[in-house]
Amino acid sequence: MSSRPERSGAAPVLVGRDLSREYGDFLALDSLQVDLLPGQLVALVGPNGAGKTTFLTIAAGLLEPTAGTLEVEGAAAGSIGARGVVSYLPDTPVFYDDLSLGEHLEYVAALHGVSDDGARSRQLLERLGLSDWGDSLPSEFSHGMRQKASIALALVRPFSLLLADEPFDGLDPPSRDVLFQLFAEAREAGAAIVVSTHRRDVVGSADRCLALRDGKLAYDGPPDAEALAEYFELSSRPGSVLPPA
Amino acid sequence: MRSSRRHRFVGQFDNAMEILYRVYVAAFFGAIAFAVLAGIVHDAGVGAEAADEIAGKGPALLGAGVALAALAGLRSGARGGPLAIEDAEVQYLLLAPVDRGMALRPGALRQMRAGAFAGAVLGAVAGNFAFRRLPGSPVEWFACLALFGALIPLSTLSCALMASGRRLRPTVASALGVILLAWSLVDILLGLKTSPATMLGILATLPLQDGASLALAVTGVAVAVATICLGLAWLSGLSLEAARRRATLTDQIRFSASVQDLRAVVLLRRQLAAEMPRRRPWVRLRAPVLAQWPIPRRAGQSFLRWPASRLVRSLAVGVAAGALVVGAWSGTTPLVALAGVVLLLPAFDVVEPLAQEVDHPLRRDLLPVKPETLMLRHLVAPAIAMCLVVLAGVIAATALGGSGTALEVGAVMVVPTAFVLLCCAAISTTNDPYQYVLTPYLGYAQTALPILVALVAVAAPVLVAREVSRYGGSPEGAVVGVEVAVLLAAAALAFWLGARVAARTAVKP
Repeated sequence: MSSRPERSGAAPVLVGRDLSREYGDFLALDSLQVDLLPGQLVALVGPNGAGKTTFLTIAAGLLEPTAGTLEVEGAAAGSIGARGVVSYLPDTPVFYDDLSLGEHLEYVAALHGVSDDGARSRQLLERLGLSDWGDSLPSEFSHGMRQKASIALALVRPFSLLLADEPFDGLDPPSRDVLFQLFAEAREAGAAIVVSTHRRDVVGSADRCLALRDGKLAYDGPPDAEALAEYFELSSRPGSVLPPA
Repeated sequence: MRSSRRHRFVGQFDNAMEILYRVYVAAFFGAIAFAVLAGIVHDAGVGAEAADEIAGKGPALLGAGVALAALAGLRSGARGGPLAIEDAEVQYLLLAPVDRGMALRPGALRQMRAGAFAGAVLGAVAGNFAFRRLPGSPVEWFACLALFGALIPLSTLSCALMASGRRLRPTVASALGVILLAWSLVDILLGLKTSPATMLGILATLPLQDGASLALAVTGVAVAVATICLGLAWLSGLSLEAARRRATLTDQIRFSASVQDLRAVVLLRRQLAAEMPRRRPWVRLRAPVLAQWPIPRRAGQSFLRWPASRLVRSLAVGVAAGALVVGAWSGTTPLVALAGVVLLLPAFDVVEPLAQEVDHPLRRDLLPVKPETLMLRHLVAPAIAMCLVVLAGVIAATALGGSGTALEVGAVMVVPTAFVLLCCAAISTTNDPYQYVLTPYLGYAQTALPILVALVAVAAPVLVAREVSRYGGSPEGAVVGVEVAVLLAAAALAFWLGARVAARTAVKP
């Protein structure tokens, strides 16, 4: 997990300027400035209600900022161009009621122009331990299987930016390892990955950590244990990097 | 204690109940208006030969309808119906050491009373049509059809109570219902009057029957009464697990109906009927089929997972609509109004792939396709499916009408009718039930509009063709002009659909 294929000097894949979002009187994001480089694995941390999911859904094009701009590869978030390069893995998996998992993968891949005759879908299902469930309806899945199916749907299509909201929740340890591997492969291919998380092992494996508090960027830097101790209730050890769980 | 709890509970849902009451009152006065309309249009009386044919074949045909209702009741009972018991009632009353029959009977009787009243009103409305066109006194027709109308929901509810009380498995309940239906079909084919359902059908046509048939009608009524008694006697055996599941769903359906959320009603009704997509599709679409058109392919995959009951129901509704049109063509004009409305039911089913996108905005908004384009492409495969349903109606109308005119007029109608019905269902599916919560009359208009368009789109060409045909003109030629207008209306609805969904997209770059 320590390989760092981030392209220094490359154009940022995501650029957010003065990004704010209000829900009535509540300020969920407050003038956020953020750039993400290709190949970066960014851990997004912060207490509940800090604005992590708001940031991810704005970047995915599902929510409009109250002020400021956010562009992905030069296209405004939510535009057709941005939707073609951003993959979003929501915290709660969403599936159609009338399609099997295999049909979901085929539909999403086809709409994103993938023409590999299902090879990528089959490979993902196999690696995530879902090979025998391709013909099943997601309504029959357990919580963990739904999460793995949602991961497969996010990764079956091409992307330059993957936004993952608590992707490790509900996964068993072998599946967590597979997801780390899949993230590493995506980074090797040049994609930036933003992972919203409360897990120390995920933060420890990231290149960069963004900490949000009350909608403001409270920390932007390497995953330093001392700086991030308050988010994980760790006893700070000067100079140490956050240890895997 | 129960009474005061009920008062308090009802008090909490004052608003919802007020809306339900309005729907109930509207339906009641609608039925009266329908009956008055029948009088105004002065439908012509039928000849002696036709009356004899109705007397001969009518009971078995009506009996098949009764058998179908019994089949529906048995299936509902096997899934825990028809009683809708509060969760707390299950927890505290049914788990208490009291006789469950005593506890459940008042609720069952209330449900039967409401069903019998509604059935009797509809029967009386049908009697209003019947005495104007058939021999027999108005009093006879009103009495016979009101009694027949009351006994249908009573028998249906009783069958459900029997099935749930005896905890019949769904396969056994369906088999019993199918046997009853098959018995009625044998009566139709062989011209017999042996099935108890056929005997109830005799009651509905009693003013046309000879004296000997009275005994058969009384036997039919006796069987229905026995069913009611058995249903009430056995109801204490119901499964608590099924009752609790049903309680939650029926509460949600009532609420969705009160806010006119038809899409939610469709989804909840499917859950109530355990009408889930098939785990294995009927046929697996091979990879190259429609590979270049992922949206129609996705719709095809959805259709291939339809349960058998939905397939049969959609085609049966198509056939029923064809029969209604034939009835309107041959003189009972108001029946044509029902044809468009009933055809909306399969339209709500075939529009499912589009409705899934509407239900899951997160998935829809992440797809790299404009929402307008996505919605329009989602109309293609459902339009083909809807054409098949309308075609079933045309074939039924041709078979029942016995002339080539139905086929010729129907051939012109198939595509525009299917498309406009589909657009009506799609618009209804995308209605936001809470958009006009502060201006409820706009909400009612929003709900009624697709239904009215469907009604007019089916009724107008049929009535124009009928009138042109009566004056010796070419009905097909006349229908072409009407169908162009129908197609334009459908196109306008499709455009509105796209614009409406696009307007709801969270981010508009």
